[in-house]
Amino acid sequence: MSNFKKLLIEPLRKSNPVTVLVLGICSCLAVTAQLKPALVMGASVTVVTALSNLIISLLRKGIPSRIRIIVQLVVVATLVILIDQFLKAFAYDVSKQLSVYVGLIITNCIIMGRLEAFALSHGPWESFLDGLGNGLGYSLILVIVAFFRELFGSGTLLGYQVIPQSFYEAGYQNNGLMILPPMALIIVGVIIWIQRTRNPEMQETNQK
Amino acid sequence: MMKRDINSNGYIFLYSTILVVIVAVLLTAAALWLQPFQERNKENEKRTMILAAAGIADGEITFCDGELPVYLVNDSIFVIPMKGKGLWGPIWGYFAIAPDGSTLIGANFDHKSETPGLGGEITTEKFQRQFSGKQIRENGRLKPIEFDAITGATKTSDGVKKMIDNTLETYTPFFEKLKP
Repeated sequence: MSNFKKLLIEPLRKSNPVTVLVLGICSCLAVTAQLKPALVMGASVTVVTALSNLIISLLRKGIPSRIRIIVQLVVVATLVILIDQFLKAFAYDVSKQLSVYVGLIITNCIIMGRLEAFALSHGPWESFLDGLGNGLGYSLILVIVAFFRELFGSGTLLGYQVIPQSFYEAGYQNNGLMILPPMALIIVGVIIWIQRTRNPEMQETNQK
Repeated sequence: MMKRDINSNGYIFLYSTILVVIVAVLLTAAALWLQPFQERNKENEKRTMILAAAGIADGEITFCDGELPVYLVNDSIFVIPMKGKGLWGPIWGYFAIAPDGSTLIGANFDHKSETPGLGGEITTEKFQRQFSGKQIRENGRLKPIEFDAITGATKTSDGVKKMIDNTLETYTPFFEKLKP
């Protein structure tokens, strides 16, 4: 049971793929200007990491090691195409907003990283949990970043106006910088900063 | 089961062949199953765009298939489709034209892969609003349309301009017929 918890919860905290391993930053900048695409992207990546980890783990004893990267890519690409098709069929507007980024899940470093580092050497159930945990860890950061960017950049959350009109009349303005990609990087930086301040054991010591 | 060397060439060929066939079957099945849903979404989107160009929330659209495709909204507004090239990919849109064949009621644009925040701005209401009320004909001839381009998106704006000019040129016979 503790193993179960460890695999699922740790990637949300001390082994978070975004803030600790610093993987998957590229899509983190691209889809976090609003909360809704961030949620869908998070969910899609979580499904792909969990299922690809599960499938690769089931196949791991039969995969010839010389072509293992190609096999991993084929599995990931298949899942991503399926998700893209599903979004186009059942969530068309979101799929338009995410546009190329759904396809780019294939190149998301977290997925290949987990396949190589975990799924090839662990059982299916553990791998599934590890994928789920890492996907959720990625989603968590995406949602936090998107929350701040949409709130301060557009004054809305999930498309609903949150900052009251009276604020604007009093001279408040949306921060245009929040909408631009660099702000995502700055917010991720701030999250990493807060996380490391609260967990001093995570700070690297300078090696001379 | 016979124990095989999983790193032998024969096994690698067999493995990759089987894997690829399974994946191909899976993807084809999914594509065929989901196609009707996707088509319906595209139809809906087209409908929304036509109605948005005409500036009404809901109405009846009839497709008049002559030499040139024209949509007739509520039997009074003509909507003509446009297709063109942006900077990175196709752009398209609709012009809603009043029954006089000259006054623009509205316009609607969309794009496949223009840069969000630059060329992507052609989908915003702010860009599309400026077309309402413009005249496309003067003294029985086509009048080049003028609009504010988007700063930082010269290529996309040029593409929109070219698309509009080409379409209106093509539709000249249609406007001739409308002339009262």
